[in-house]
Order: sequence, then structure tokens, then C-alpha cells
Amino acid sequence: MAQAGGTPSKVPLERTDDGKLRFRGCSRIQDYDFLGKLGEGTFGEVSKARSKRTGAVVALKKILMHNEKDGFPITALREIKLLKQLDHVNILKLEEMAVERSKDPKKKPSMFMVTPYMDHDLSGLLENPSVHFTEPQIKCYMIQLLEGCKYLHENKILHRDMKAANLLINNYGILQIADFGLARPYDDEPPKEGQGGGEATRDYTCLVVTRWYRPPELLLQLRRYTTAIDMWGVGCVFGEMFKGRPILAGNSDLNQAQQIFELVGSPNDDNMPGWSELPGCEGVKEFEFRRGNLPTVFREQGSLAISLLSELLKLDWRKRVNAIDALKHPYFHSPPLPARPGDLPQFEDSHELDRRKFRGQKQALPPAPAGGSVGMGPNGQWAENGRPPPNIQRGRGHQPYQNGQGHHRPPPPYSRPYQPGPDIDTYRRPTLHPDPSLPLPPKPPPALDQSGAFRNNNRVLVDPQYNGGFRNDSRGPGIMDQRRDRSGGGAVYGGDRRRVPEVAKVDTYIPNYSNVSERAAPRRDEPPPSRDGYPPRESLPFARDSVPPSREAFIPSREHQLLPPRDPTYPLRDDLPPPRREDDHRRDGLPYERGRYEDGRRDAGGYDRRRSRSPRGRDWDRPPMRERDAADRYRR
Amino acid sequence: MAPITEVEHLTNPLVTVEQLYSLQDDDRNHAENGQSVRYAQAVLTQAAGILLRLPQDVVATSLVLLQRFWVENLGQGHATADLKIASEASIYLSAKLSFTPVSPRSVCNVYAYLLSTSSSLPFIGCPPPSAATPPGPQSYYVSEGSYEREREKILLCESLILSSIGFDVHVALPHTLALTYVQALGVSSRKLVKRVLEHLNGGLLSPQLLYLTHQPNALAVAAIYLAAKEVGVKLVDGNWWEVFDVEREDLGFLVLAFGSFVGFAAAEKERWENEREKLRELLSGGG
Repeated sequence: MAQAGGTPSKVPLERTDDGKLRFRGCSRIQDYDFLGKLGEGTFGEVSKARSKRTGAVVALKKILMHNEKDGFPITALREIKLLKQLDHVNILKLEEMAVERSKDPKKKPSMFMVTPYMDHDLSGLLENPSVHFTEPQIKCYMIQLLEGCKYLHENKILHRDMKAANLLINNYGILQIADFGLARPYDDEPPKEGQGGGEATRDYTCLVVTRWYRPPELLLQLRRYTTAIDMWGVGCVFGEMFKGRPILAGNSDLNQAQQIFELVGSPNDDNMPGWSELPGCEGVKEFEFRRGNLPTVFREQGSLAISLLSELLKLDWRKRVNAIDALKHPYFHSPPLPARPGDLPQFEDSHELDRRKFRGQKQALPPAPAGGSVGMGPNGQWAENGRPPPNIQRGRGHQPYQNGQGHHRPPPPYSRPYQPGPDIDTYRRPTLHPDPSLPLPPKPPPALDQSGAFRNNNRVLVDPQYNGGFRNDSRGPGIMDQRRDRSGGGAVYGGDRRRVPEVAKVDTYIPNYSNVSERAAPRRDEPPPSRDGYPPRESLPFARDSVPPSREAFIPSREHQLLPPRDPTYPLRDDLPPPRREDDHRRDGLPYERGRYEDGRRDAGGYDRRRSRSPRGRDWDRPPMRERDAADRYRR
Repeated sequence: MAPITEVEHLTNPLVTVEQLYSLQDDDRNHAENGQSVRYAQAVLTQAAGILLRLPQDVVATSLVLLQRFWVENLGQGHATADLKIASEASIYLSAKLSFTPVSPRSVCNVYAYLLSTSSSLPFIGCPPPSAATPPGPQSYYVSEGSYEREREKILLCESLILSSIGFDVHVALPHTLALTYVQALGVSSRKLVKRVLEHLNGGLLSPQLLYLTHQPNALAVAAIYLAAKEVGVKLVDGNWWEVFDVEREDLGFLVLAFGSFVGFAAAEKERWENEREKLRELLSGGG
């Protein structure tokens, strides 16, 4: 091969850095040892497994083939393709794909997405009655969330389903953004420093983002939205970490809008220019005047938190703070300073199956005390119960929060504390010791005047040598230091090693030279038709005129491009089974569904719905009725 | 399955020499000439893409996916996938990934037509009917039952392709690069660009798997070099290809490959024209 003898400047691409064939098939499911189920329900099945090759503990997400008619679900394909292009500490990494071949060669193989195992999702943690977050912890998670968003937006990707349930956290305190089933490339300029979300020049579909995290401009049906939609979700998650539950839990789109305006004020031409030109929410365009009560609702969080929260929950999507600027907000640079990920407490795993138990027993159980499990307690009692921060973080060069390596987990440095027998089956009690002085999860400490309280056990928790967003003491590298190592001396912030370059436009996602003008009807989101550079049909081996008479057969009928009707009465909560609707049979029978991706992309199955506070668009992608009922019954 | 890095976004995974060898071995084990069959399959796929009104980048992607599948699947002695079904699955898959998805039904219809006696593919269909009795549409009618069966096969093959290529569905194409290079060289003209793109699209059909052995920049440079020679456009003096990170040897190899393709295609056409029935059987999975 001519490629073989290259100069040193040339990167050989036949093999990856570790010498494996880059161009190879998937691994087999037999390469993994099954360790147990993590969750199941409407979204499918996630299991924990150990790789026989590397020993790493991973999560295996089975891709459900809901819509057999369309083959491999496009959402899954798109997610896989996107994830393969991303590499960041705060983005869940797709390790590889594993295949389970059926014995019957006529049967389709099952596919699994292999990701590092993450111990919790944020939503589950918040639901756990015994867990509450301290302010340094919240700051730590927020910084990581914002770093992840910054990376995504920088690389022109819209996540479009930002919510607590999609944020995974491991016991090293690393937060990662997961579930890219709704993500798509963003075609406009990425946000710039100091300029909010910028403006978009093209339309996207409005049927995205789980309702409780959906920004006002989407509720009012702005189609030309920007990366700012993800920032709204970040704001909702921020508030949720304080309150322990979603802060804007509307029961319909309209109600969602009303709740938003209740919190941040009703829209007017000053705080949301252009709002009156938008189609409106479920036909409603007038809203009762509200002043907004955000400072009151969050008064215990201190003025800086309120300031950041109102920057994130700004009605005007052009002025809503972007991730770059949010990271510079004084909130992260004032005491109590953000914790370092490695210093955060560990929690019992909280996954779907465990969480069900919490749901049933949240009220019945004695109120869970807080101190011990949350290393840095609200009253400053750091590690009072003798739980040191995990020592694996120190001195061994192990980098627990490095994307893609964090899963090489050494055995736990110490065994779990004793758990009382009778409790084990019904309730896996988190590792903590009761503290009767705290009958309810206490409020997070006020932001400002508490610095003294964070000094304990002779350790200055608010380190005077604060550096770059994380405390920088001698206990090993902070997240930023490690990143610096990786990037070989890059900047402290923004040291993302890999950036999808500008030339990423070559991505086949976007037809560059299309014959779109010859298609039945150019779709709205397609780039303008252009024949430039397209080879003339005449040059091809046969004449263009030779199209068979049944032309129509090749043009998908217009009808199928229409969106399925939206039903305002359709429940979205996961605990309510969706009612069987009269037109379900018709919908099921659609031979070829041009799904809700009005931006020209079809949706063939929400194969992973971790928690179905999902946008309406997904509902018809759910599994057949019987499965769904069973799953819901099991859940209760 | 490492994530795609900066450089990988513009490049494709390439085959190794061993993989090419095993493909060659596989070819030897079959009665029919593997190159010839692969070429016929590629032409069929390209034709179907046109009838499905797919943009050329979608068709190109599907051809590259098909080639990757060949290498992975045949090279390792897995079950031989049906030629037609594999072609259908690859085009269905790449369309699904693009902004212009097509339905399995359309795919089935188009392939039924292309492999029928009425086909407009020059070396599959009958010679142009002598006006008296043009072959009727019955010859390519797909009944509901056979459609259902075929769709099942397509979808099965789709997952086979995906697992074989390790979900590496990202394909970097040289076409836009070539346009940029032509402009950078300051020789942009309709005639030249047309020829460049013809070479690039021809290269897609080549059984030499050019898109798996060379990166897009090399393909683009070679196509420009050859096209400029043919069209008579004077390019800058000196080793300009080095600016685009292409070596002389690569360039020479690719220019030869692009240049010889016309002859190869003509020979193939002649060959199959005498054996229409056999080819149709081969492609339809009968052979």
C-alpha cells in the first residue's frame, strides 16, 4: 500500500494509539461479565458489567428495537455517531459497541452501548432522602456541568435534553452529561464570550427538551433557537440542586410557561424582545402580569447564587448567559469555594431499581440524617465519621475523572461500613450515621458569611491558595491540573484537548452538494439547494430519463412527512401510563413515519428513556402498550 | 473505537495490508471474480441512489460503507451477504443518517426495477426494446408479501453492517476538499471541476477500494492532477501536492487508478453484457 512509508508528519490511521485496528468490528457481548441490572422500564435496559479484557466496570445499554419497521433506531445511530466525535471529562464516553449475535442467523443481533459505569444520576441522588448537597458540592457539580456545556457548544452541538436525570455522577465526584438521543449539530456560530447565546439563522424543531427543563422561548415555539436552550436547563438543574426537586414542574406546556413567568416575571418587550411575535404557547399569547419571585424563592441561597440563577433563567435567550461567561461568574470564585471532585462524599449507588424503593419509603422512613455521608456537612463537620476522601486519588497517578480512563476502577479502598441486617433488603441505607439533630435535610448554607464554618479537623477547607476554580492543596492534582497534563501545557480553562475543527462541516450530516432541487419538496431545514459541483447526471452510466413509470413510488408521500398530531391531554409523567388513544392503531400502522424531526431527521425510537419526564415528541416512540404497562406497574 | 479526533474528522479509517490480503484470498476462493462482482454491486448502488433521488454524498457514503463491510465481513470469512440486500441495506442506512431518508419500500421498488428485464442499467436490462413490445411494469412489481420478506432481510443486513464496521458510519468525502483545493490553486473552471468530480465518483465504484486505502486529501489531489492534465489546465509549477500533504507515490498510484478506471469499466460492461442473466442472478442472490 502506498500509505505505508509515510514521513513522520503523517499520522498513520490504520491503528489507534494502543495498536488496535481502528477499522474493526464491534466486540462481542461475551467479552463482558454481567454484574446485574441497573434499571429497566420504558427506556429499555441498562446493566452493569465487567470487561473481561480490561477489568473495567461498565454500563451496558441495550438498544431497543421498538420500531422494527425502520430497522436500527435513528436516534441511537445519531447518538452513537455524535458520541464518537466527543471527548471531554464531563461528557459520558462511548467506549465501544458490543454485539450479541443470536443463534438464529435470521434474527437481528442485539446491540449494546458500552459506557463507563457511573454510580448515580443527579436526579436519583436528589431523590434520595438521605442525600443533600452542600454549597461547595453544588458549585463543583455546576462547574463540571458548565464545562461540559461549554465543550458541547464550542463544538457546535445542541444537547436538547438537559435535565438532572441525564447528568451522571460517579463516586469520584465527576459529573458527566449523558443521553445524546436528541442532540444535533448546531449550524450557527458557537456562543462567544460576553455575548450570551447569539442568534440562530435557521429553524430547528421545537419538539425537544423535557418539559420541566424547557426554556420559555421553546414553549412559545421559537424555531430559531440557540445554544441558550441548554443553558436554561442548566439553570433548572442549578435550582433543583438547592431545592432537591425540579423547580419548574408544569403539568402542561401552558402551565409550564405560567410557572416560569411566576418565577422570573411575565414576558414583555424589555425582558424578552420579540416574544409577542412568537406563535405562543398552546395558542395562548397573553399572560397575566407577574413580577417574578425568584429572589424570594431562593433567598436562602445568597445573592450570588440568585444572581447566577437569574442569569441562567433569563427570558431573553439572546442575553441568557452562555457557559463561558457563567464559569466566570463570581459565584464560583467566592467562599465557600467549590469542592474538588475527589473530595466529594460517596453515596450508595442510586439507580432506577434502588430508587423505586426510595419512592415508596420516602415518607415512611425516619428522616435521613445528613452529616456523615455528605463529607462536608452543613455545619462544617467534615468527615466527622471517619470517612476519609478516597485515597486512590492520591499519589498513584490514577486519574479518576479522566474521560475514558476513569472506569479502570481499582477495588474500593475500604469496605462499606456495617449495615444493619433487617434494613438491607428493603432499603439499602446509605453509609451514614444517624444524627438526630437533623430531622430533615437541612438547607444549604448561605453563600457568604459562612467561611468560618468550613474549617474543621485542622484542614482549611477554604484554601487561601485557591487556584482556577478548585482548591489546590497538596493532596494531588485537581481536575484542572490533570487536564493540563493531558493537554500538554494548555490553558487552565478551556484546555479541551480535542475540538472538532471548523472544517467539521464536511460531516455528511449536512449534504454539501445536493440535488435537493429535484426532490419532491425541499424540506424546511435543508440547506439551500445547490447543484454546484454536482456531477451532471449525463455522466452516469445510464440516462436520467429512464426513470420507470411508477415515479410516485420513489417519492415518499407528503402525508408521511407531516408530524403526528399533538395531543394536549397526553400525560408526560412516568408514573401515569399513557392512555390508549383512539388513533394509536393508525399511528402504529404508519408505514413510514417522518417523525417529529421537522429538521429533516426521522425519529425511529426513543430507545433510552431513563426517566420519562420526556418531551412529548417521544411518547409515540415508547414500547408497545403491554410492555409499558408492565413496566409502570413494576415501578409502583 | 476511539472517539474521532480532530484529524479523524477529516479522515477515514483505512484498511490494513492484512485486511486487503484476506479480501484477496477470499476472492480467490470464489468462482466468480470478486472485483467484477463488487464493481457490479457498486454500479447498482449508485444507480439506485440516483433513482431514489439521493444527494451524491449520501450515495458516496453508502458505497464507502459497503466497501468497509466487504473488508470486514468477507475478509474474515463470515457468511456471504446477499449482494443485492447488502447494497440495499447500505443505501437505506446512509439515507437514514442523512437529511434525506428513504423508506424500505422505495428501496425495494427501485432495486426490483433495476434488476428487472426493463432495467435501464445498461448491462443488466435487455438491449433497448425494438419498439414493438416494451417490457411492462409487471416485471418489476413488488408484492406486499415479497416486500415484507425483503424488508426483513434489509433490516437484518443493516445491523450486520453496523456491527461489522463497528458503527463507524462517519465517512469523510473528498469532494468538498477538491473544490477547495481547486480554488486554492486558482484554476477553478466549470470544465475542470466537472472532470474532478467525475474522477472522484468513478473512484467510488472502483474495486480497488480507493476510499479505504487513501485519505480524502490524497483522492482530491489526484483527481485534480489528472483532470487538469486531461482538460489542459496548467497548474502551478513545483510539487504543489505537497502543500496538501500528499506524497508523490500516493499521487502516482491514485492517478493511475483513476486513469485506468475508464478502461476497466468498459471491459466490465462488455463482459456482463454477454452474461446478463448470470449477473442478474448473482446480484439477486441466486448465485
